[in-house]
Amino acid sequence: MSASIDDEAALWAVRLEAGPLSNAQRAALDAWLAVDEKRHGALLRAEAALAYVDRARALGPQNLDQAVLQHEREEEADWDEEPTPASGLGRRTFLSGIAAAGVAVIGWTAFQAFDGPRTAGGPQAEIATVVGEIRRMPLADGSTAAINTSSRLAVDIRPDRRIVRLQEGEAWFQVARDVERPFIVEAGAVRVQAVGTAFSVRRREGGAEVLVTEGVVTAWIEGRETERRRIEAGARGFLSAEMPRVEVAAAPDEVERALAWRDGELALNGETLSQAAAEMNRYNRRQLVIADPALGREQIVGYFETNEPETFARAAAELVGARVVIESDEIRLLPAGP
Amino acid sequence: MRQSRRDIISWVGRNIIPHEAHLRARLRHMAASEDEIDDIVQEAYLRISKLDTVAHIRNGRAYFFATARSVVLQRIRRKRIVRIDTLADMDSLELEDDVPSPERQASARAELRRVKKLIDDLPERCREIFTLRRIEGVPQREIAARLGVTENVVEGQAARGLKLLLKAIAVDEAGRKQNRHEADRGQRDNVGQY
Repeated sequence: MSASIDDEAALWAVRLEAGPLSNAQRAALDAWLAVDEKRHGALLRAEAALAYVDRARALGPQNLDQAVLQHEREEEADWDEEPTPASGLGRRTFLSGIAAAGVAVIGWTAFQAFDGPRTAGGPQAEIATVVGEIRRMPLADGSTAAINTSSRLAVDIRPDRRIVRLQEGEAWFQVARDVERPFIVEAGAVRVQAVGTAFSVRRREGGAEVLVTEGVVTAWIEGRETERRRIEAGARGFLSAEMPRVEVAAAPDEVERALAWRDGELALNGETLSQAAAEMNRYNRRQLVIADPALGREQIVGYFETNEPETFARAAAELVGARVVIESDEIRLLPAGP
Repeated sequence: MRQSRRDIISWVGRNIIPHEAHLRARLRHMAASEDEIDDIVQEAYLRISKLDTVAHIRNGRAYFFATARSVVLQRIRRKRIVRIDTLADMDSLELEDDVPSPERQASARAELRRVKKLIDDLPERCREIFTLRRIEGVPQREIAARLGVTENVVEGQAARGLKLLLKAIAVDEAGRKQNRHEADRGQRDNVGQY
């Protein structure tokens, strides 16, 4: 295996992680990959190694030393121990002063982090995104969150449970496995619980939508705990206090499309122009306006950058035969004139 | 269900990368050369990179080992490895059970030490930039401004840090410690046979 392939893969991995590639970069990457199939594997490895190190972000620089010290002491004890069940409150108390966190069965242990603009939120943290902002961040328990535009959430991580209150908007969570501490998202009256899972919650009119990408969650309405409903990977659920039942439907491709915002994209597959514009408008100050109802019912297919409403307008106009009027504060789509 | 590339990468980072060193140790136990080990591991990652989704995989470590085993078998069939005792050694690529042993759990926690040591061992400039970017999440542009260098330099140093990280992932104290334990057990078994 050529060391230089790994070196080149490392550079590409760093670039891919930094943000969307330009067309020229994308072409260069495709050309690089095309030379030898093995490069696909090398690139995956490099990108995965970055993701692996990223989990250290949950620790924050100062706590890294302290956490390592604790681990080293613990590990010495472990080698002499009889095999014990995976969990152990004994180990937790050993970590006095540091909020203990999920122990993945195969994987990672993380700790309380500092409350700082760059590092993960502490065990109690409030996070808010502005219009068009999409933020990925680690949580104090080792979970990862991707927070969508105009959203607000409050993180409350305790020794016996982990609560996230989604006050506004939408967020996706990759939950660090911890059977001792359920991870629960509260969105209005809606409750969603996971053990080791990846899922998103989006507040909508009267309720919340849940999309599961990995594992299983259970969801219910506060006060109706006996009516919990399982939602599995590839399925979407909708809950509302006004509805008698939780609606769950398997829709794997739709689930993935609906989460394209994590990569800064809107993935449309037959949504109407009005629906698409409403989605784009979540991400931009300059709003798309479609006054003509017939035009609004036209269907759109494609991937669009959420932060480029002009590009979307032009592309959509081409697709449905409309025209675009761009003004300083809004972008209007109109039927093509006679 | 197709998963996004980002989800798959994240899964591989959590469920495959941590076990690479142990896999390599097992392959070394089979007396494969370093070049062969590199090829086998690379092929395993290649196969994983072709998956549409990883949602169905319950145990990443088991999947990784099983994939490597399949790669080895393929190489034997194509006569790339010619060793008489290889087939017997294939057993060492089987996982005995899914339950993490205390040793394996301890090594999972040792990952923390690995990452810290790895970052500490980076050359000065590289470590600074890698820490700013990866641990503190500072955007590339801001690092460049802060340190008075071009973004290209920042990118280059981040890539260099990743390069060294990749080398270190292949070599691991915890993995070797584990291997010694297993080797000890193996020796005891052999004695019992005679």
